[in-house]
Amino acid sequence: MSKEAGKQANAKADGQAAECTGKQADKAVGRQSGKRSRKQDTAQTAKQAAPSSFLSSLPRKRKGEQLIDSKAPESLQWRIAVSHEKRPRPLLPPKPAKPKKDKRHTATRVAFFRYGYYDPCFKYFTEQVLNAEFLPLPPATRRTEEVGTQNSTDYVCTPFKHILGDFVDALELGANVVVQFCGPCRLGYYGELQESILRDMGYDNFRMLNFANGLDTNSAVGWTRECLKQVNPDINVPKAALKLIPLTHMVAHMDSAYDFYLANAGFEQESGSFDLAWAAYMDAMAAASDEKTIQEAHAHGMERMRAIPLNKPENPIRIGIVGEMFTAFDPRSNLNLDKKLLAMGVEMHRMMNLTNRFVHYNEPNLRQSAREYITYDMGPTSTITIAAAKKFAAEGFDGLVHAKSAGCTPEIDCEPALMRIAEDYSIPVLYLTYDAQTSDTGLDTRLEAFYDMLAMKKQKGTLR
Amino acid sequence: MAVISDGADVKTIGIPRALLYYRYGTLWEMFFRNLGRHVVVSPPTDRAVLQAGEEVSSDESCLASKVFMGAVASLIGRCDAIFIPNYASASPRMGFCTKYQSATDMAANTFREQNPKILSLLIEHLDSQREVEEAFVDLGKRLGASAKEAKRAYHAAAKAQKTANELWAKNQEAALKDIKRLRHSTGDAPITILVAAHPYIAHDPFMAGPVLDALKEAGAIVLFADEADHGHTYKKSFEFTRTMPWVINRELIGSILMLQGQVDGIVLISAFPCGPDSMTDDAIMRCIEGTPILNLLIDAQSGTAGIQTRVESFMDILQFHKKGGYLHE
Repeated sequence: MSKEAGKQANAKADGQAAECTGKQADKAVGRQSGKRSRKQDTAQTAKQAAPSSFLSSLPRKRKGEQLIDSKAPESLQWRIAVSHEKRPRPLLPPKPAKPKKDKRHTATRVAFFRYGYYDPCFKYFTEQVLNAEFLPLPPATRRTEEVGTQNSTDYVCTPFKHILGDFVDALELGANVVVQFCGPCRLGYYGELQESILRDMGYDNFRMLNFANGLDTNSAVGWTRECLKQVNPDINVPKAALKLIPLTHMVAHMDSAYDFYLANAGFEQESGSFDLAWAAYMDAMAAASDEKTIQEAHAHGMERMRAIPLNKPENPIRIGIVGEMFTAFDPRSNLNLDKKLLAMGVEMHRMMNLTNRFVHYNEPNLRQSAREYITYDMGPTSTITIAAAKKFAAEGFDGLVHAKSAGCTPEIDCEPALMRIAEDYSIPVLYLTYDAQTSDTGLDTRLEAFYDMLAMKKQKGTLR
Repeated sequence: MAVISDGADVKTIGIPRALLYYRYGTLWEMFFRNLGRHVVVSPPTDRAVLQAGEEVSSDESCLASKVFMGAVASLIGRCDAIFIPNYASASPRMGFCTKYQSATDMAANTFREQNPKILSLLIEHLDSQREVEEAFVDLGKRLGASAKEAKRAYHAAAKAQKTANELWAKNQEAALKDIKRLRHSTGDAPITILVAAHPYIAHDPFMAGPVLDALKEAGAIVLFADEADHGHTYKKSFEFTRTMPWVINRELIGSILMLQGQVDGIVLISAFPCGPDSMTDDAIMRCIEGTPILNLLIDAQSGTAGIQTRVESFMDILQFHKKGGYLHE
């Protein structure tokens, strides 16, 4: 590593120069170049948890509030990278050699990122389909967030930062393979960039099962190859493919069970009884290994939840949640939005889940249900957001919550349509934008205010 | 819904000067002209256009999107229908930002009160020549032309676009050759800068204009990463990244890789908060080594003074760097 890379800031630069010079100074020292400096920096951050960001853009960090404050006086962000060795390198090292077939197959530990309540599905997929070992992740910590945020660009979407932190956790817990999905928005590029960042941070010894690979021809063939290559070359493909069928049932069951939970958990007579039942349901699902056990686990779990005594008023406040795949759905991404709303005693509905987005997704037909508002498919989750909003509004819900990560282009573009729906059905919509700095208390205040407004509106009977 | 399916009575078609206009403008204009329509292109972006766009857009949408909305607003009342095509990204390696996919419906919902007629077409697979042609022929038919006429109009327009692209690429190559010759004969040449930005940023007088002015004022020769042979640069980008889904970013990266040895510095300009650039700028800054890179993130408030100081300091670095500068041991 003969190369030196330093960032230069000219003290002439107005205003921000003062606050940036300090940072620049330690940067010129701290940043040797690519790989090594990242290693050092992570070691540092782990110890001191000081915000010594290395990659992210410099002079000025945007705080959550500033991000949406378009009236900031001077908001030019900039950075310069200088080095003198001519060595463009590809984002990722050349492809590794094909792994040899090994009859005495050593278990590969596979980890997914943290995503909602789908751990049992990931576990089933790893154990039954990939024939590898599943590594469950403990709940995210503050460090997870920090590592993820510090190693990503400022204005990349929030799930990217969360998942990067998850992968660091997973690798430190001993995972050999981490899994990343793909999608038609920025999600499609998460995998490669995260892998490159992780390798630059010094985590060298891992593979990534990245479903964005293998899309070039036929995705089914490409994904199979990717699984064989990255995880386990000994997978019996026909047998493994058959095991995907129970997996779809598992996903559908879990989603329907959670829908029941959302609709009723706000009205339990004895607080905590739904959470207990849900935990038991999750345990049973995590233990399920075939169609029969999945069905049994679902039947028992549902029986238990249905038996919980409720205190539900005739006409409860009903709130519909719409938004993108991560923030509207995943409790870590939306700071436990579900629990917070349920604690206020409301009935919640949400269309966005894996079943509705993938297993039963029929985009053209779904779009037809909201044809007054949309003519085309506007993005990965836009149709489901708008169709769900319209459905909830038409069913006479009391309010809608639109949750998205900061800078999520498809969901920002849904907002005009949502505003029209809000106008046409006179339904209040709470727009929530989450970034890494969004605070728990800030969210509480907004939700309480929103709830109070809905409750007052309902009392006065001004709703249709 | 304002998106019309029958446009036989549409005489004047408005095209917003924003987003993909800077990539396909010639094609669109020529296509409509060939079908005997009058074409109105919205005026070049200025503060007023941006302000009109900002008023109707969500605070969080990107600068380019606000400009687009402003451009649409400026066309309302000046034409019979506004052309907002829908370029979706079903091809995994030749996609676009989802903005171009949602632009049609976004504009229709935003301007529902004014209810302008919107003319659109849907292209899902950009890499399928046939699909693109069919989409335009279908549009031509909706405008009342016969299939044959529409086809002819499309082919002529596509040829015009191709010629224009080739012309830009050729000019750029000639410029590069001149610089090389100059360097060879005199041993010195002005500092050459490669500006890598989405075409609707790089060629927009309002967005990248101040940056380009500052560069030229400091005596730099400016080349554009998007003015190169698209097929070539697209292919080249696979050496850098395997799964990048965005075709424009791919072309920019391929262009950077190809021209890196021939320029003194690279300026990346992104509109805040551009989705694709939020990821690719990071990759470029980290991995393209050997050439100094300035990354500017512009938004509605970035004043020209701020830009000027940044560009000046970057030029200073380049001057030092060229002389064997202070960065060496």
